Amino acid sequence: MVTNQKQGISPALGEFSEGFKTQEMLLNLGPQHPSTHGVLRLMMTLEGETVVNCTPVIGYLHRGIEKILENRTVMAGIRYMDNADYLSPMLNETAYVGAVEQLMGIEPPRRAQYIRLLTSELQRIASHLVGIGTYLMDLGAVTPILWAFRDREGILSLFEALGGSRFNVNYMRVGGVLHDFPKGWLASCEAFLDTFEKNRRELEGLITDNEIFEARTQGVGYIDQQQAIAYGLTGPMLRASGVKWDLRVNRPYGAYREVPVNVVVRQEGDCFARYKVRMDEIVESIRLCRVAIDKMPGGPICTRTPIALRPPRGETYFAVESSKGELGVYFISDGSEYPWRAKLRGPSFVNLQILPELLRGHKMSDVIAILGSTDIVLGEVDR
Amino acid sequence: MYSMLISGDIVSDWVGFWTGLWHGIISWQFLQFVVAFFSFIGFVLTSAIILILAERKIMAWMQDRFGPYHTGPWGLLQTVADVGKLLLKEDIHAGNTDKALFLFAPSVFLAPVMAAFAVLPFSPYIGLPGTALATGIVYLVAMSSLDVVGVVMAGWSSNNKYSLIGGLRSAAQMISYELPLVLALVGVIMLTSVLDPRGSGVGTISLRDIMQLQASGIYPGKGIPFWDFVFEGFTPWAWFFLVQPLMLIIYYTCGLAETNRAPFDLPEAESELVAGYLTEYSGMRWAMFFLGEYGNMTIVSAIASMLFLGGWSGPGVAYLTGLGSLGWGFLGNILALFYFITKVYGLCSVFIWVRTTLPRLRSDQLMQFAWLILIPTTLLNILITGAIYLIMNALGLLSSNTLPFLIVLGVVNWIMLFFFIRIVGRATVATTRRAQAPAIRAQRRAAAPQLPARAETSTAIAASSQQ
Repeated sequence: MVTNQKQGISPALGEFSEGFKTQEMLLNLGPQHPSTHGVLRLMMTLEGETVVNCTPVIGYLHRGIEKILENRTVMAGIRYMDNADYLSPMLNETAYVGAVEQLMGIEPPRRAQYIRLLTSELQRIASHLVGIGTYLMDLGAVTPILWAFRDREGILSLFEALGGSRFNVNYMRVGGVLHDFPKGWLASCEAFLDTFEKNRRELEGLITDNEIFEARTQGVGYIDQQQAIAYGLTGPMLRASGVKWDLRVNRPYGAYREVPVNVVVRQEGDCFARYKVRMDEIVESIRLCRVAIDKMPGGPICTRTPIALRPPRGETYFAVESSKGELGVYFISDGSEYPWRAKLRGPSFVNLQILPELLRGHKMSDVIAILGSTDIVLGEVDR
Repeated sequence: MYSMLISGDIVSDWVGFWTGLWHGIISWQFLQFVVAFFSFIGFVLTSAIILILAERKIMAWMQDRFGPYHTGPWGLLQTVADVGKLLLKEDIHAGNTDKALFLFAPSVFLAPVMAAFAVLPFSPYIGLPGTALATGIVYLVAMSSLDVVGVVMAGWSSNNKYSLIGGLRSAAQMISYELPLVLALVGVIMLTSVLDPRGSGVGTISLRDIMQLQASGIYPGKGIPFWDFVFEGFTPWAWFFLVQPLMLIIYYTCGLAETNRAPFDLPEAESELVAGYLTEYSGMRWAMFFLGEYGNMTIVSAIASMLFLGGWSGPGVAYLTGLGSLGWGFLGNILALFYFITKVYGLCSVFIWVRTTLPRLRSDQLMQFAWLILIPTTLLNILITGAIYLIMNALGLLSSNTLPFLIVLGVVNWIMLFFFIRIVGRATVATTRRAQAPAIRAQRRAAAPQLPARAETSTAIAASSQQ
């Protein structure tokens, strides 16, 4: 056991501990641990059950996705983007092809843009469902995760019908999308949304007004507005701290230029606010899905692009509002078929940085509550 | 030396010892004890297997999935197969453990649970010899608090930090919740002193007597055989949960904490402590902890059903056993066993229901809940029960019958229950929301260096968000 011998006043016991000899305990949480959302390792110094310091160690899931992208043609690289944030592959692909389109000056057809909006919002629902479900699992409730995964299953089935694959969809293409909807897909999508609206109300009824859940999350892991901006937080983490910032509204791209989005903002800045923002964003995403289905234009789904796709020499940055925050792709091309560099700005990675700051002074049980509320995906942190 | 050893005295003592032992072992009393003991161990093991299967099935039903499905018809043999697997599994010992404590801890955990079953009467005739114990409740409470020793032993000896934290959490939790648990039972015992048929004013802590006090002699249709059959010894309107509903709720809550069940399952909180004090255990030793936990669940439910829900009373039990014939008496006993086990499993399924619904409390909130809410409430209840008794006694209302007292006490307790539920919800949330947050914030500010001001960034974002 690595311990620090310390004499004098401990922060946990205050003045009463004068003269007692206390030991700080170094606890190694992860990389194999049930609730580190993958393979995050937290080296925590504990004083009793109070966290004195915490150092996140990342890199256990590093697969070199950015390097792999450099060694694949643009079209072949799309598939690898799925594995970055493996809970929202559609959004990752949208960011990657969006960057290439921006560099090449291609405007996808309107229908393709609406299909992208529809799939993006479905993907956002799926990702938030996993985030909420696993969060409640971390807090010790066993039912919400199963209800959430049941509903997410419907979205994955829709994706399977659309792109042939449930998880690594590989659906976006430079200049559009891969396939048009199969027959009856939109109807089944609407049927899913109808049932899901009922299920979501049930799920929220189970969670939101629960006193134990409120006691565990309210006032815990507080981030104020200034701090959130200084750490470069984005997505629900930022909006829960009272900053109205959503790329779909502030830097609209694709069909979001035509479809207005109601940004969900809460002022509390604690774990409960972050949960509630995600829950309310699901409602908003359902509305956006319905709008997209209603306004779905006809026409082609893809522009004609050369098979050997050579983006012109130059560089560009394109960002989408992913389920976790701003997912940006910094794309540099030297004029060949291969990207010279494709840098991902993963929101999970940036949102993770505030963790040591947040954990200090909390109880050990709160570590899990706060870590769960940041909703990180280690595939995107390590890439 | 040798001649001393074979001298007459010692030889006759040896012979006397062996003959005495021999006669003791083959005596009918001992044989009866052995049979009863093994059937009770069998009951504990079978009950655990049934409860685990029930838990998995009920949770599956509540979570919209199937649960175990493939082993046996409708998955009924799943837990039997699990036990077989656990028996055959390798017993892994981690390095640098405190060997003696590590190996001994599961037995120390399981033994009090088994011992507690010694005083549980299952029906008017079925029970171990210990069921006649006049101090049944004290014995049961003592046994249930011994469990914590095994948990602390396991937590300390595993040489694992998760185990250590789990063990210490468990010790703090079990000791804290022991108090309101006992104080909740005091309310019932005070009731028995008022209801005492001898009129002596002395209460009872014998389980059988408390169950008999819940059978009222007054019921509709007395004298008509059919209504006698139904209502003799079975009067749900005289059960103590109607008079002391708040105490049943508090007792049950403390029972959840005593048995480390959700939402008080902090010692083995999976998402924080991997498996708490169970982390380093495998195979049958792990299964012994599990058996102990489910045995504890059974005991808590059994006490709750005996003290608050009339125990084994049900239609036909008292009537059939009172007939004096062997056959009908046997049938009455089987009926009693059926009613009792139904009540116990009904209460156990409340355990499962609670687990499916609620998230877990934090350790400091857990302590707050016990010391600031449960203990004052139980003490207040004792005070109110005593005060009502004294006032009504002074007014002379207790001389003829106890019904007015029970009605007044029941009404007061139901009102208390209503306010308790309303206040607990508010208090749990309010303490953390308002009190906790600023303190943590201040502590963090003091510990961390101040961030440089980023005024220009925030104004830029604010400006663009207004566009």
